Amino acid sequence: MADKMLEVKELKMYFQTKKGYVKAIDGVNFDVLKGETTGFVGESGCGKTSIGLTLLRILPDNAEIRGGEVLFKGGDLLGDDINEYVDLLKLSDTDARKIKWKGISMVFQAAMNALNPVYKVGDQIVEAIKFHEPDVTKEESRERVAKLFELVGMDPERMENYPHEFSGGMRQRAVIAMALSTHPKMIIMDEPTTALDVIVQDQIMNEIKKIQERLKMTMIYVSHDISVIAEVSKRMAVMYAGRIVEYADAVSVFKHPLHPYTKGLMASFPSIRGELKRLEGIPGEPPNLVDPPTGCRFHPRCPYAREICKKKEPKYREISTNHWVACHAEAGGV
Amino acid sequence: MSMTRYIGRRVIEIVITAFVLITILFFLFRVMPGDPVSMMLSPQMRPEIKAQLRVQYGFDKPLVVQYFLYMKNVLKGNFGESFYYREPVMGIVWDKLPNTLLLFGSATILSYALGITLGKIIAWKRGSKTEYAATVAGLAFYNMPIFWIGIIVLYIFAYKLDLFPMGGMITPELWMNADVTTIQKALDILYHLTLPLITLTLLLFASSMLIMRNSMLETLRQDYITTAEAKGLPEKVVRNRHAARNAMLPVATSFSLSLAFSLAGGVLTERVFSWPGLGWELVNATVNYDYPLAQAALLFLGIVILVMMLVADIILVFLDPRIRY
Amino acid sequence: MYYDDKKKKKKGTIGIVAKSLKENWLIFKEEKIGIIGLALIIFFLIFGLLLPAYEHAMGPEEYNPLVGMDLDLNRNPVTGTFSHPPSKAHPLGTDFKGSDLLAQLMNGSQMAFLVGIVVALSSVAIGTVVGLVSGYYGGSLIDSLLMRISEIILSLPLLPLVIVVAAVLGRLSIWGLVFVLAILLWPNTAKIIRSQTLSLRERPYVESARVAGASGFRIMFRHLAPNVLPLSIVYMTLNVTSAILIEASVSFLGFGDPTKVSWGMMLQWCKTQGHLFKALWWMLPPGGCIGLLCMAFYFVGTAMMPIINPSLRKR
Repeated sequence: MADKMLEVKELKMYFQTKKGYVKAIDGVNFDVLKGETTGFVGESGCGKTSIGLTLLRILPDNAEIRGGEVLFKGGDLLGDDINEYVDLLKLSDTDARKIKWKGISMVFQAAMNALNPVYKVGDQIVEAIKFHEPDVTKEESRERVAKLFELVGMDPERMENYPHEFSGGMRQRAVIAMALSTHPKMIIMDEPTTALDVIVQDQIMNEIKKIQERLKMTMIYVSHDISVIAEVSKRMAVMYAGRIVEYADAVSVFKHPLHPYTKGLMASFPSIRGELKRLEGIPGEPPNLVDPPTGCRFHPRCPYAREICKKKEPKYREISTNHWVACHAEAGGV
Repeated sequence: MSMTRYIGRRVIEIVITAFVLITILFFLFRVMPGDPVSMMLSPQMRPEIKAQLRVQYGFDKPLVVQYFLYMKNVLKGNFGESFYYREPVMGIVWDKLPNTLLLFGSATILSYALGITLGKIIAWKRGSKTEYAATVAGLAFYNMPIFWIGIIVLYIFAYKLDLFPMGGMITPELWMNADVTTIQKALDILYHLTLPLITLTLLLFASSMLIMRNSMLETLRQDYITTAEAKGLPEKVVRNRHAARNAMLPVATSFSLSLAFSLAGGVLTERVFSWPGLGWELVNATVNYDYPLAQAALLFLGIVILVMMLVADIILVFLDPRIRY
Repeated sequence: MYYDDKKKKKKGTIGIVAKSLKENWLIFKEEKIGIIGLALIIFFLIFGLLLPAYEHAMGPEEYNPLVGMDLDLNRNPVTGTFSHPPSKAHPLGTDFKGSDLLAQLMNGSQMAFLVGIVVALSSVAIGTVVGLVSGYYGGSLIDSLLMRISEIILSLPLLPLVIVVAAVLGRLSIWGLVFVLAILLWPNTAKIIRSQTLSLRERPYVESARVAGASGFRIMFRHLAPNVLPLSIVYMTLNVTSAILIEASVSFLGFGDPTKVSWGMMLQWCKTQGHLFKALWWMLPPGGCIGLLCMAFYFVGTAMMPIINPSLRKR
């Protein structure tokens, strides 16, 4: 069995606001296996982006970790000979910074502004390299950047340019190159193509798949677009209101979606091959995370909701091999 | 456009504005009630000289001709003779201008250095006691009349404690001594410079500090700051190399807007501390009805402002690669 | 969209401003500094308004700020003149001729408000209109022209110019000074309002107003003005301090209006009488008042910044 790069247990993270605590991540469990891509899909505000921020410990000041364990295979980065896995939540700031980018890197949503406008693009990537690998000379760093640019499909000469001289698609590629620059063990890609037009989206997706193949990257891919997730991920987690409601191989989710929310997501997208069906959205609004619905959080919008759904939270359990669902309906009974 | 062409273009703009300033001055003195002739001629002058000057400046000719004659003289560097000093005005200006530049220039540099540093720090420590203290102190000094602060500073440090001189730029006895070295002379100037410099710097630092603070707060919300943190860079690096470097830009942009205020402060400081600069001469000349000197002093103070604006623009181009020039 | 426009027609600019005033008050309250500033302003306002009552209570002829003097006083051996430190009859002491300083100070408060507010209102009014027009027609000839004029005025050395104008005119009355200041101070506001207008111009609601056929004026004053107004008001507070400080400076240097008792004039009299270091009770209060009142206005302006710029709000 391939080994785990990341193991997340009962992660809870809340945001403190004037109106109360926003339960952004409320008891989330998942694994990421080495060399594989795990996708996270859900509406805005479901918590999928927060997971990335939590792993990298770049949460805003009003965020509080309320519990859980995040075991990452990064002991070697801390010079630890004994422990292979370290709990990212319990690391000191100094240790956490060693993990940042070298252990896990991130490609942010709407990378338009992810690059500092007053420095050349190449220099910003060199900065990351030099910080984590001080022994690498400037020449070597720049060579690495040049190769990375080629990898993501850009002319290496462009590393002398400033961000405002790049188009949107190029900036996205540059940010991906930067995320790869320190040879991280894992990358988190958060909606890397959302802000781009469709043609460029397609190009970037191809680049990403190419990189996956060549480098055998361990990846977490976050998107609200289930079709995109299906394209790139091996395993898939569907999130709703801060929790994972379905977690399985992407193929299984597509062939046999079990949770009503997943079914709703699938029905919202037209299928090219299948029969022509009416597009249905999911009725209702995203839930209030300060005061979530009682029982199953999805029940107000669920077409199959029963009495028990309003009162009791469904248990998150393994229905078939490696296929986890949190729903009161029996397997296949919906 | 290359840097040289940009500077060239800005210099031309300055020259044009300087011309406009001279023209405004010309009409100011001619249009105001009062005898235009007495503007240039001192009552003590001998009649022959007066007649000669009348011809030279064309006071008997129509206004347009007078204007051209005036401009011709200005371009030759001829601003007439000071009534008070009985010397060519240009010489006096050349003499006093460096003193103003010394005081005003160093105060500007110091206040911006202080302001940017403080602004950066208090933005990072939002809502802290430091922020409160720095803001209140800065605003207090900014809003209190500089001449009043200067008087109090003089009272405490010069009059009562006798730590610093009561005014002036040099100790005359020292400079008349042939054995005194250049370093000693320089130190003497520094000694006299201390109080007015501190006073003027205290007045000015608040402006850059507050703009820097607001700018930092805006910058810290940007995505590239999150990226820098995600890269694992230490707090100091993120704050200085990434945030402050960007936050400085609005400070540089606002420099030109506050110059007039700063210069006013400079003139008043020169007056209170008897610092022999162009500002001091301006007030003195105005009190003595020494119009040629007053006019030239005003003009050159205006040119100082224009040149400083140009310097600020050039610095901004170096700082911000997004500016197309 | 159409329904909203009708609603806006009913409320108008003032209506919108009034409603947002209430919301903005809550933001304003967050900054303690603003409340302190407001309190100080109200204090000085009342302080100035109390002058007639004070004069009347103490003796209108003796306590007149400009010409009154207390004939019962003897020479003060310390100062060599009739300037005395604070006493029961004269809470802040007297100046060189025996004039009550408290009365002068109150009069100064009136002058400060008068000069400050008139200059601020006029310069900001001009500046806002120029800024709106310039920004709305950004890039056009009229924009370039207005900006050129602004830049020229901005590069004029403010205080030196006022001094020379005052000298050339002989003596500058207080209203002459107000006029000159209004002309010299509007470009500052105009530039800021212009950049604000430039960015607002691209907003969808302006576009839709234009498509609906609204004229330039209508767009500027019905749609854009309410949004730039907070910025204008902030600049108004800043201009008040500039006006007060410049008037004080001009008076201190000896070019002010000798028929008006302002705080700056008080300091000038103190200086010309050589009492700067001898009579601290005379030297300190006027400068302190200038500082406090200007600070108050500045505090109010600073507290209003989070209203305009949400990133400054404390959450």
